[in-house]
Amino acid sequence: MLRVQNASKNFGSLVAVQNVSLLVQTGELRAIIGPNGAGKTTFFNLISGYLAPSSGTIVFDGQDVTRIPAHRRVGLGMARTFQITEIFPELTVHENVLSAAEVAAGQRLRMWTERPDAGRAEEVVAEMLALVGLVSKANRLVGELSHGDQRATEIAMALALRPKLLLLDEPTAGMGDQETYEITGLIRRLHRDSKFTIVLIEHDMRVVFHLADRITVLDQGRLLAEGTPDEIAASAAVQAAYLGEAA
Amino acid sequence: MTATVITAERQPAQRRWLPRAGIWLALLTAPLWLPLLGGYTALAGKVLVFGLAAMGLNLLLGFTGVLSFGHAAYFGLGAYGAGLMLKYVVPSTPLAMLAGTLLGGLAGTLFGVLIVRRRGVYFAMCTIAFGQIFYYIAYSWNEFTGGFDGLRGFHREPIGFGALTLDITDGTRFYYFSLVVFAAAAALMGLLIDSPFGRTLRAIRENERRARFLGIPVERHIWLSFSISCFFTALAGTLYALLNNFADPLALHYSLSGYFVIMAVMGGMRSFWGPLLGAAMFVVVQDYISSMTVNWMSFVGLMFMLVVLFFPRGLLGMLRRRGSA
Amino acid sequence: MIQLILFNVTNGLMIGAFYVLMALGLSLILNLSNVINFAHGNFLALGAYMAFMLTPVVGFWGALLISPVLTALVGVLVELLMRFVYRRDPVYSLLLTFGLAFVMQDAARWWWGPNPLQIDMPEVLKAPLSPDFFFITWYRVFMVTIVVATVIGVFAFLRYTRLGLRIRAGTLDLDTVSALGVNVRLLRTLNFAVGCLLAGLSGVLATGQIGLNPNMGDDLLMPSFIAIIVGGVGSLTGTLFGGLLIGVAAAVTAAIYPAASEVVIFILMLLVLLIRPRGLMGEEGMLS
Repeated sequence: MLRVQNASKNFGSLVAVQNVSLLVQTGELRAIIGPNGAGKTTFFNLISGYLAPSSGTIVFDGQDVTRIPAHRRVGLGMARTFQITEIFPELTVHENVLSAAEVAAGQRLRMWTERPDAGRAEEVVAEMLALVGLVSKANRLVGELSHGDQRATEIAMALALRPKLLLLDEPTAGMGDQETYEITGLIRRLHRDSKFTIVLIEHDMRVVFHLADRITVLDQGRLLAEGTPDEIAASAAVQAAYLGEAA
Repeated sequence: MTATVITAERQPAQRRWLPRAGIWLALLTAPLWLPLLGGYTALAGKVLVFGLAAMGLNLLLGFTGVLSFGHAAYFGLGAYGAGLMLKYVVPSTPLAMLAGTLLGGLAGTLFGVLIVRRRGVYFAMCTIAFGQIFYYIAYSWNEFTGGFDGLRGFHREPIGFGALTLDITDGTRFYYFSLVVFAAAAALMGLLIDSPFGRTLRAIRENERRARFLGIPVERHIWLSFSISCFFTALAGTLYALLNNFADPLALHYSLSGYFVIMAVMGGMRSFWGPLLGAAMFVVVQDYISSMTVNWMSFVGLMFMLVVLFFPRGLLGMLRRRGSA
Repeated sequence: MIQLILFNVTNGLMIGAFYVLMALGLSLILNLSNVINFAHGNFLALGAYMAFMLTPVVGFWGALLISPVLTALVGVLVELLMRFVYRRDPVYSLLLTFGLAFVMQDAARWWWGPNPLQIDMPEVLKAPLSPDFFFITWYRVFMVTIVVATVIGVFAFLRYTRLGLRIRAGTLDLDTVSALGVNVRLLRTLNFAVGCLLAGLSGVLATGQIGLNPNMGDDLLMPSFIAIIVGGVGSLTGTLFGGLLIGVAAAVTAAIYPAASEVVIFILMLLVLLIRPRGLMGEEGMLS
């Protein structure tokens, strides 16, 4: 589904990501972890197209997307959430998800009237809201909701795009235990039941080990290790990287 | 023509209908009540012209969230385009309006390509500087454009519709002609804003990054919004030239651009009719003050500052707040 | 022939020096506070008028030293107003400085009258350098010297002082600077003051070149904008080169094809936007 080969990113003399490769199978849930400053978000930005790599290639669903801009990658099936939730705060939950659904239906770009299948977008919205459990809050302004609900809205928006690949940047960031539990459950359902391919960045190890099929570890921009949760847990190198940071 | 911010959509249909009817009623009967208040028909015409220009700008500013401080360039190009057409080429009002609108609109479209990747204050700086090019050309090129004194020697021509002739040389008749043009333009703008395209622009305004990650080609949409707003503002410029039978370099100067922005802000950037109301307020206040004192500039400047500091949401913004709260 | 070229280029560099001084102040304020100071030209005029008032009292040299400082103080007062709008949409700060420009211009006209005034320049400055280079008066030498000294001073200040370091850091990431415990409000105020100081200084110097009247700053404002756009937003060195470049371009064009001399700097701007949108020395990613 996603193959990244030797991707690197420099900002002038600052090397944020160096020679990282990644191969994610369809239906897999991959977690990317690493100490702070390891370059995880930058790497994510390369995959989603927010940044262009200084070198290396990114192949998505068989297609080379290295030079393709972010908004086109979305059209090809990549959907992404952000560490700091990016939603439309002055619109309702319904409207937020609707905007995503409309774009996916090719509607948003039309200047004149709606296409006849405007109703379809509404169905998608209903479906997504049910999936993330926000039906009861559909008409509330997103800006007024709790952190967890905002994140859920964002995920619903990403899902409404009918993606092949879901990129989640620290989905449990800033959440308390209860909310973390709920979001983790949601992601698990998306992975197990709806069979989405998911790549996520996480700091919370309980979440990572609970969800991931495979784990990639980055440290200081480089690929440190990759493997199943058990392998990573047992790896001395990974422990050293984290302990070194904690010190 | 629905007002945009979502809170308005939740108001009962009646409440939206009334103010809109009120506005149209006032506009239709302006030549009747304006002189009673010490005004004159051309003042109403000025309000329409500037209102249209400010509404055109607001498509970009209030709805897409992109700041242009150089829209006078397209207004002035519209005015000069119409005037030059009437003076040197053919005495036809429709053609003059077409020429002016195309000139201003195309200039904006082309320029938009250059700066669409920039944002914020840098974008605004470029728009200001671009406008000044035409200002300098207009006041330097004496033989062609009349230099600092402006372009004269033309006037609005009666429009022929086959057997009928619409004589718009009369002030009041021209006011109603402008009103028709204004209505048509406003209707078109309203259609655009209510369409999916309009909603996309608003998404870009609300959260550009999120819009991009929904798959919206942000730069292209900003360019389109910029381009369309320039066409509307240029159209307003042609009306300006026809209203005054005269086009001057000040119609191109960045101070006028600033006026358009303050009109949009004063009336309420987030609403459709805000810029028109802002234009009305600005034109009336400026007209009044300049007849009272030679230091009108201080007062206008003070007005800018007061609006920014105390009334940033503008008139309609404040009213809406109170209504929905 | 050599004289002609020398004349034009020198002329250009001198004009450019003016643009640089103005543009640097504008650029400083723009980079740190994200504000376009429309009233910059009016601060220039203010500096000039202050010099006019002070020269009879402390002499020209005293006025040269004190006027910019007074202008900076006025800038500090103005900046207090700006604090209300920093956190908001950039449109508001633009409108604020725009309105301020109107007020300042009218105030100047009201206080000092619309007619040009004269400052008593020391005689020594009016004499030409030598019969061969008659076009270089001591005044021009003096002016360029001051500009060069000031520019070096500004760059040194930014590079070597703590305040300068904070300003530079703030230009890149104001939030981080704030998180490090720096008083960002004070930083902005001081930065604005420095910008106005430069404008005031330009004003004093300008009186010898273009005379003293309420509109004197207007003609320098646009070129300052263009110097920044051409040189690259976010880069002071860029502003420096941008200013010099457009000064030379304007002067050379004035010699070859006078009618276009005002427009040529705009054409330069369009070319830069077309070929290298971030400016000659702009940084990648400075989108806003």
